[in-house]
Amino acid sequence: MFTLTLDALLVFMIGTPVVGWVIRKKGYPKVQGIYALAGLLVAGYFLYGLSSEVSRKGIVLIAGFPPFNPPLGACLQIDLLSVFMTMLYIVIGLLTTAYSIKFMERDSSLTEYYTLILGLVAGMTGVVFAGDFFTLFVFWELMCLTSYALVAFRKQKWESIEAGFKYLIMSAAGSATILLAMSFLYGMTGTLNFAALASRLSNAPPEGWLHITLALVIVGFGVKAAIVPFHTWLPDAHSAAPSPISAILSGVLVQTGACALIRILLLVFGSTQLAWQTTLAIFAVFTMFVGNLMALLQNDLKRLLAFSTIAHMGYIIFGFATVSEEGLAASLFHVLNHGIMKSLLFLCAGAFIRQTGTSDLRKLRGIAGAMPITSAAFTIGSVAIAAFPPLNGFWSEMMIVAAGVRAEMIVFSALALANIALSVVYYFRVVRIMILEKPTKVSRKATKAPMPMLIPILVLAFLCIFIGAYPVPYIDASSKAAEAMLNIGGYIHAALGGL
Amino acid sequence: MEVDRIRLVALTIMFLASLISWKLVVEYDFPVFKYVDADQPLELIEKDTATIGQQASRFLWNYRVLDLIGQAFVLFASAACCMALLRVEERKR
Amino acid sequence: MISLSYYIACAVVLYIIGLYCLASKRNMIKLVMGLEILVNAAHLNFIAFSAYASPSYIDPFGHSIVIMSIGFAGCVTALALVIVTYAYKHYKTLDVRKLRRLRW
Repeated sequence: MFTLTLDALLVFMIGTPVVGWVIRKKGYPKVQGIYALAGLLVAGYFLYGLSSEVSRKGIVLIAGFPPFNPPLGACLQIDLLSVFMTMLYIVIGLLTTAYSIKFMERDSSLTEYYTLILGLVAGMTGVVFAGDFFTLFVFWELMCLTSYALVAFRKQKWESIEAGFKYLIMSAAGSATILLAMSFLYGMTGTLNFAALASRLSNAPPEGWLHITLALVIVGFGVKAAIVPFHTWLPDAHSAAPSPISAILSGVLVQTGACALIRILLLVFGSTQLAWQTTLAIFAVFTMFVGNLMALLQNDLKRLLAFSTIAHMGYIIFGFATVSEEGLAASLFHVLNHGIMKSLLFLCAGAFIRQTGTSDLRKLRGIAGAMPITSAAFTIGSVAIAAFPPLNGFWSEMMIVAAGVRAEMIVFSALALANIALSVVYYFRVVRIMILEKPTKVSRKATKAPMPMLIPILVLAFLCIFIGAYPVPYIDASSKAAEAMLNIGGYIHAALGGL
Repeated sequence: MEVDRIRLVALTIMFLASLISWKLVVEYDFPVFKYVDADQPLELIEKDTATIGQQASRFLWNYRVLDLIGQAFVLFASAACCMALLRVEERKR
Repeated sequence: MISLSYYIACAVVLYIIGLYCLASKRNMIKLVMGLEILVNAAHLNFIAFSAYASPSYIDPFGHSIVIMSIGFAGCVTALALVIVTYAYKHYKTLDVRKLRRLRW
């Protein structure tokens, strides 16, 4: 079937309802969460084996037997970018599942919750593993469907339903746009395999229909990757979802859209590179500005973090738009860092909201007195994401600006630097409100967050400091992944065998 | 008569866009199968109406088996999604 | 047979009709129907290309993709209708313009 990693995730996803049904008779609800954790650990173990195979062979191809192989057959093509992203997914998935064992204990339908989290991680893994456009679409739909239900999970509240409906409509329209682009590509070349598309369209003259397909791809994936005119679902969905789900959504799902977008643009649309490079850079700058400016005006903690996600997606897409090895490596390193930092911030916000019952910043003043460890971790996360020197956000954001300057996009890099400075303003506002102001009645009554919720928070904070102090192996890993992304000849050769 | 402004604007834009796109699509020919590789032609089947369903299904099962397994998991996940949203449990007080 | 461009033009017009439906209809169930129209535009495109692959032969690749994609569209519609049921329970109306409480 698929690789062992994906198999493990899918098999554990199917097993979760069985486990849930069995323990409902016995009455130990935490076993479901521990079962989901075990599934993610098994998948992580198999991923370790897969990654050593990929570093040995370059690209691992999973396809059918000789008459039924690419370019007409479905296939999975796993290279270093896939392994890099999947490691991030499994780490963030493990930590948020561990956090949600305690956080969601009072909610109903927990069996389906853990099933859907495993399905979400499996879908994201399949998206980066796919070697064929329709296989990517299958796993894309798996990822999208599970995320719609997880955003609307707390169905008794009107916010979740409203946010879930808006998110569903916009994201499904994006998927339909991707399907239309796929149909045009099939009409032009007769196949949907990435390697075959890359080899057939590499010398195509940039004509009207190719530009239209390019526009449809950018719109379709841009809805999920929160590029500016299509980002309006994000603040509502990320603030109405339960906090561990917001952490996964903000931390990794949005980045999956961006990575799928850049992979397709590099492979399939290589001949129109100048067109999409400029387009992506302009969209990236608008995204950064809209994200940061709207975050300055927010009074709700989770909405502020959601707008900050939009701004960081602007940085990542700007790094992708430089199409140089340094730019791609910087963006991938920022994907890793942003996943860790934003998950940390959302998990801390979840702890605040659970202990005080409100997410309004004006009511959360001075909460550092009542919840010291969580506030300290939140401060570390804010300092990291606002790009201060010893922590990890500084390295990746400066690398993106440096790559932009080296790729001769000086104006865009200056605007990116201005945006990073702007983000310092609102993060320091939140930290000041938490630490320096006098506690309100609500924040005085808060109790410390329980230990099972604090452990993932502390692990993420430790990772922020650790990666910031010694970033070299991670920069190395992202450089190798970027190099694998740009190695189109090797990709084609691995699938089509030397044609 | 109270006319909904958004609907009027959207209707006008839709008609104009449809007319313009119809003209453009019919005029600028689509490069149909222009980039097919000569060594790897398409796998074609005959237009025999009696067995065409069987032949298309055989193609599906032979070449696209990974996608079919993926679709089975997507159907399972959508059933889990609907159950997650439709389940009503007693709240423990 | 008619030239292929008419089928592609129909698919593009269907896509535009789907977008119009998403942009301007008020009833939530009509929005879900609009999503189905969008997806059907791409399906028409796939089938048209697979029929015109060469004279008197068809290419089953397009048909395979459409068969699977109809399944996905069905799943999304099912989930959307469940969410619409809950939205009706909360807001007592099916008018999507009343879902405006999440602002700023």
